[in-house]
Amino acid sequence: MELGRRIASRLTEATFERVAAVGLANAERNQRVIRHSILELAEASLGEGNSAVVVAAGPSLHRRRSLERLKASAFTGTIVAVDGALGACLRHGVTPHVVVTVDPHAERIVRWFGDPMLVAPPRDDYFRRQEMDPAHAHDEIMANRVLIELVDRCGPGMKVAIATSAAPAVVDRCEKAGMTLYWWNPMYDDYDRPGSLSRRLHAMNGLPCLNGGGNVGTAAWVVTHAVLGKTRVGLLGMDFGYVPGTPYARTQYYPELRELLGDGFAEAFIHVENPFVSETWLTDPAYYWFRDVFLEMAGDAGCETFNCTEGGILFGANVPMAALETFVAGGGRP
Amino acid sequence: MTEFLKGNYELTVKIEEPADEAETSATEEFEKKALSRLGGSICFVRKKGFLWNGDTPEK
Repeated sequence: MELGRRIASRLTEATFERVAAVGLANAERNQRVIRHSILELAEASLGEGNSAVVVAAGPSLHRRRSLERLKASAFTGTIVAVDGALGACLRHGVTPHVVVTVDPHAERIVRWFGDPMLVAPPRDDYFRRQEMDPAHAHDEIMANRVLIELVDRCGPGMKVAIATSAAPAVVDRCEKAGMTLYWWNPMYDDYDRPGSLSRRLHAMNGLPCLNGGGNVGTAAWVVTHAVLGKTRVGLLGMDFGYVPGTPYARTQYYPELRELLGDGFAEAFIHVENPFVSETWLTDPAYYWFRDVFLEMAGDAGCETFNCTEGGILFGANVPMAALETFVAGGGRP
Repeated sequence: MTEFLKGNYELTVKIEEPADEAETSATEEFEKKALSRLGGSICFVRKKGFLWNGDTPEK
């Protein structure tokens, strides 16, 4: 097995190590501000019919002009966006019905909502290096300022499906922007096992536990079909990979892979041929794990899922690829 | 090995663990730490459905 795939096979346990302690600490801090359960979203009026689009923040979102096309398509179903795609959505005049956020990182995630505390470019180069929202890579301070205004203006019309693992700074920002917060617990482990953290967390706050699949994009897809009950879901910007030709140094986990593998870091990257666009995409162990998990979960989902990303590495028997316009028109099955 | 064999008496000599075992342990610890930085932002729990709300049936 290739090195990248070997590493990917170990990321289920690694993710628990990464997020459990901080996620549970945040859950305790957030306890006092919890007002609504995510289950209340099932009763809310969020678009028409049984179709929904989940907007993730992969590079195809910009490359394929997916948001411009979504806006032009007059899609009337539900729009669910991940936090990292919120800025792009609002800049293109697309106001999501629901925004999903989960990552417990103390400083980074609040930037997706516009960080009022940011006055100078931080030492952390995450937003300059990442591929998710190019606006932040060009001029962090200006992009942040514009985003604050957009989120403040549109906030009252949006609902946030927020995990109890979210950092207090994110909670505070969303509340101050007038968004309504609907809470859920990340499922940390098997709730049937003795001493389960998921079970203890549920006992503490009474909120449902959601199996998130490793990343906020997959979690947004789970919210869309398992909570909102949508039976036909289209995915945008769900690449789980990097555009052909992307330098290794501009990938999400480059510093970590470099530290782990030294000069041999490039061996951890995986190349995947995408037959829909006839391109070979680059991916890393984390994104490859996200893909494997998504395909596994899609087999059990009570919805049809169509990947309208037009790029990336997410495709399989239960996740056919389709053009966005085909999905909106009601088609998509091969 | 030290995890499985425990005595009920004190030894008068100090027993050094083989160097390679100590090295393996350090390597495993480094890998565990490094891998945790590669993980995702939310866990995945295999074969446990999408939503669990305590005693109510899972979806």
